[in-house]
Amino acid sequence: MAKRVAVMSPQTRLAHSRRRLRGRWRMPRLDPDDAERAQRNYRMQRRRGIASLVLIFAMLLGLPLLLRVAPWLTELRVWAIPVSWLVLAVLPYPLMSWLAAWQLRRAERIEDR
Amino acid sequence: MVPALAVAAVIGVTLFIGLRGVAAMRTTSDFLVASRRVTPLLNACAVSGEYLSAASFLGVAGLVLKNGMGALWYPVGFAAGYILMLVLVAAPMRRSGALTVPDFAEARLASPPLRKLAAVVVLVIGALYLVPQFRTAGLVLSVVSATPYWLGVALAGGAVAATLALGGMRAATYVQAFQFVLKLLLFIIPAIWLLASVSDDVRDKALNPEEFTHFERDTTVTFRVDATLEPGGFVPAGSRMEFPAGSQVPQVVGATPPGGDAWQLPLLDLNGAGYPLLGTLAVLIATSLGTMGLPHVIMRFHTSPDGRAARRTAAITVGLLGIFYLFPGIYGVLGRVLVPHLYLSGAADTAVVAMPLQVDDGWRGTLFTTLLTAGAFAAFLATSLGLLLAVSGAIAHDLSPGGLGRLRITVLAAAAAVVVLALFAAPLDAGLLVTWGFTVAASTFSPLLVLGIWWPKLTAAGAIWGVSVGLLSSTAAIAVTLFGPPLSGVLAILTTQPAPWTVPLAAITMVVVSLRGRPPAWAMTAMLRLHLDEAREPMFQPRRGDRSAWYARRLSTVRRRLRRPGR
Repeated sequence: MAKRVAVMSPQTRLAHSRRRLRGRWRMPRLDPDDAERAQRNYRMQRRRGIASLVLIFAMLLGLPLLLRVAPWLTELRVWAIPVSWLVLAVLPYPLMSWLAAWQLRRAERIEDR
Repeated sequence: MVPALAVAAVIGVTLFIGLRGVAAMRTTSDFLVASRRVTPLLNACAVSGEYLSAASFLGVAGLVLKNGMGALWYPVGFAAGYILMLVLVAAPMRRSGALTVPDFAEARLASPPLRKLAAVVVLVIGALYLVPQFRTAGLVLSVVSATPYWLGVALAGGAVAATLALGGMRAATYVQAFQFVLKLLLFIIPAIWLLASVSDDVRDKALNPEEFTHFERDTTVTFRVDATLEPGGFVPAGSRMEFPAGSQVPQVVGATPPGGDAWQLPLLDLNGAGYPLLGTLAVLIATSLGTMGLPHVIMRFHTSPDGRAARRTAAITVGLLGIFYLFPGIYGVLGRVLVPHLYLSGAADTAVVAMPLQVDDGWRGTLFTTLLTAGAFAAFLATSLGLLLAVSGAIAHDLSPGGLGRLRITVLAAAAAVVVLALFAAPLDAGLLVTWGFTVAASTFSPLLVLGIWWPKLTAAGAIWGVSVGLLSSTAAIAVTLFGPPLSGVLAILTTQPAPWTVPLAAITMVVVSLRGRPPAWAMTAMLRLHLDEAREPMFQPRRGDRSAWYARRLSTVRRRLRRPGR
């Protein structure tokens, strides 16, 4: 005799199976094509991500270091404002916005293919 | 009195938008993540609105006044966190399909104990972060309307809890997006007005700081916290002192007088320990890595429809925060000239609100005080909404799962608990308290998320050990700072800002314990799933393979998209 199966929409079946997730369950396998694509995304995103991370950490380390080794920046003034104040309060934000836009563009380009 | 009405108006609008959101709310998913239908720009506004807390609106300017120019490193770290988020977490986290960080922990590593542990971490971070918000709200209310501190705190708690319990995250999204715009305007316009209307003399003094040694006019200082003056001795909280013009300013033991050489140093010399570079980097590590692990921020990314939108949200947020953070420095520098006496009273947080009346004591001063108070209160409300939601989510969703009704009750209970904690927190330093929330997040969730997303060999045991070690070491350092003996030098920095050693410790523990065990066979699949981008036109043109099989397998990751063919 064939196994009896309740007729339900895929959504309902999904909801039911999710409710049982709390007990034992098995990670659903990825489609081979999907797995390949995910593997490629993972490698490329990792490579490009590392470049962005190096840049952001270089900024976070570099600016305090710059202010530490060059205290004369406080004496130097642009429009009467000490340069060290500008380096600290203004400069990081355009730099970070640019970095965010750059990283976003590169990350999305990987997925466009 | 007028500023108090402005606060009432902010609460009113918040409640109104909150109540409007109720109509569409049916399920737990609606309540927690607004049914995931929020566009990147709206969501970025909401993320920024939620993130710009009372600590950003008032605290940074207050810290500049109290500790010096170096305090402007805090916002740099706050904004840099979103770049890390963009690179490492945003898209994969959204693609995991999990509702909360504990959810993610279980989805990736299939470990219920880890889920409970993560929920406990959410509670710790939430408490450390919510208490200073409530404290600042209470302080500001008590300063502008002469109400007692406890009443301000209780009022604030009531407004937040009511909005959340009635409207949930759907309401919170609109409330926070609205409040971001409100805050931006209420912060920028008064700053421009202040810059334009102060005299040339003030502007000149702002750019050429001199140590605050003598009162320039008759000044009444109301001490908000206990202070030890030199000369003057111990002064209890709540007392008032009159200083005639020209009299000498007493030194506060353990604080730098505004304007001196130490004040002008563009680095953070924590506790005057003499290691400004280490202090600055410690704060930057805590704030930038901490942002990545803040549970309420992570949760906001789940309201995006897909991973791509989540990533865009993070990128836009960096820009939006960058605009806002150009201004705390202006308030800090002007505040040092206009209200330097606030450093004596321990209410440096209220500098932003106190400034307009020093420039103009007519209707304009009152108007701008009112605007700034409303903005500060909006800042407080938005952050508290998100945090309270994350905390009640952790209790009602992870620790003891229940339905929508239970979630609502939990919100009320959590708000009440935080109000009680905040009543005892008045003397604590707001900047310090907020960074501690970041420190705990940086030492627990950020290694968990980064390794979980990018390292297939992470095991559940490794994650549990790493998160436990991070939680224990960072909270132990905080406990030593609060209750332990006074320390000095490098040791003092590493206990008040423990991130430089707790974060690597947690990450190394995770890696070492994971390498000693074996990841389950499906670990690679679980990780790769997070990196699989959503199909562009899923319903009509399956890109590859047999359609029905493809559909069924694809369903679990992208079902939300499929359900909405209209978008």
